[in-house]
Amino acid sequence: MFEILGFEFFRNALIAGVLASVACGIIGTYVVVRRMVSVSGGISHAAFGGIGLGYFFGIDPLLGATGFTVATALGMGALQLRARQQMDTIIGAVWAAGMAIGILFVYLTPGFAPDLFSYLFGNILLVPRGDILLMGVLVAIIVAVVALLYRELQAVTFDPDYAKVMNLPVERLSLLLLVLIALTVVMLIRVVGIILVIALLTLPAAISRLYTTRIRSMMILAVVLGIVFTLTGIGLSYLLDVPSGATIILVSTLAYAGALGIERLRQGD
Amino acid sequence: MTAPVIEVEDVRVRLRGHTVLEDVSLAVYPDDFYAIIGPNGGGKTTLLKVILGLLQPSSGTVRILGGTGAAARRDLGYVPQFRTFDFEYPITVREMVLSGRLGHITRIPRRYGADDHARTEEALETMGIAGLADRQIRNLSGGEQQRAIIARALVGDPKVLLLDEPTVYVDAPTAAQFYSILDALRERMAIVLVTHDIGVIPEHVTRVACLNRRLYTHDTNEITPDMLEAAYHCPVDLIAHGVPHRVFSEHREED
Repeated sequence: MFEILGFEFFRNALIAGVLASVACGIIGTYVVVRRMVSVSGGISHAAFGGIGLGYFFGIDPLLGATGFTVATALGMGALQLRARQQMDTIIGAVWAAGMAIGILFVYLTPGFAPDLFSYLFGNILLVPRGDILLMGVLVAIIVAVVALLYRELQAVTFDPDYAKVMNLPVERLSLLLLVLIALTVVMLIRVVGIILVIALLTLPAAISRLYTTRIRSMMILAVVLGIVFTLTGIGLSYLLDVPSGATIILVSTLAYAGALGIERLRQGD
Repeated sequence: MTAPVIEVEDVRVRLRGHTVLEDVSLAVYPDDFYAIIGPNGGGKTTLLKVILGLLQPSSGTVRILGGTGAAARRDLGYVPQFRTFDFEYPITVREMVLSGRLGHITRIPRRYGADDHARTEEALETMGIAGLADRQIRNLSGGEQQRAIIARALVGDPKVLLLDEPTVYVDAPTAAQFYSILDALRERMAIVLVTHDIGVIPEHVTRVACLNRRLYTHDTNEITPDMLEAAYHCPVDLIAHGVPHRVFSEHREED
């Protein structure tokens, strides 16, 4: 199968897989330790609204998704600070409303919507060079922000009340984290699609959590696991001629189930 | 008399249509060991949150070392109610204690200096958990976790240490050990302790108040029957085994 590496589309797929894994490992770690899985699910599904708006206004759907997803994340963050009680209902509403906006605007757009299926389910083998560049920039931003604000983000995700007593800008840091989640979600749309984003965002970090004791090491292991899962998924999908996004997710899910099973056996001893 | 470290004046808090605190005023002085008791739901945690700036009162003022700004709060050490944050979080004891220094670092992005590390080791020693510094907090016993939380509060050099129900989840011997640690800390800072359990009030408190929406105090270290009745709205049996009797007034008529 090595002759496949000679094709540019396959090299692009591998690069996209690695870039997505880096973002997933770093941001997914915060999502898992701060228990923000459902918020992230809401943000990622709302991204479909941005895709629909992109089609309707004739701009790059991924660009539309970036703006719309960041705005949704900030809106959810603002709501979270005020309405702690009904947060799960609000997430459900935003989740469905985003999808509904997407469906409506895709319907209103005259003509056929090309690639619509690949935004929903991903197709890493079709990632164009321009998107690779966009992903590279987003990864650079995510890595730089987390490297600069590692201590602050740790304090805020660990014990926000204490961070506030220490006079840290807790609200701004929480919103920043939501924006980083939104950017990561946009990156992952190309790789696994909107519907499956949440799995790639959380599974590598959740497995890594079982074997690490610090945020930093948890991130590093999650990045490595993400790379292994995406590359295995891409390879399998090529060999078996099945959709790549779904294959990557199933590889990750099987690994997670395996890790949990081993953990149970270890604790049983 | 020296200036108070905490001054609460006529604080009133309404949450979701209910008045949780009303006309609450109190002053804590540098050498105080102040115990605030009261029934569950009496507003004890709310009062601490108002002092800490986590909750804005509907009316009234809070001054920390004479100042009202958020920056003054870095002189407060806070030991939250046990289990209010996630003990499964991947963080070592040393990292957690070190994070207590963040409030004192003003340059951005914040970086820990040699001084921050030195104070962290000192706080770990003080609490007797230096040997556990590289362990993950979820792998500690309840008493050890409690000491790690106090070490995080100490590392910020607080002028006042505020503790919210610190002994609820620990067994009796651990609680006793815990109070002897507090006694040792008294020389360095004022302590405010909040609890619903009048049986655990340590011997060395300097003042006691009862809180149930309103604050009842005689500015002494005695809990009088009228304070308890006012706070709990029913006569409370003061004959408790093992309670240091000096806390309780034997003369019911004495004010």
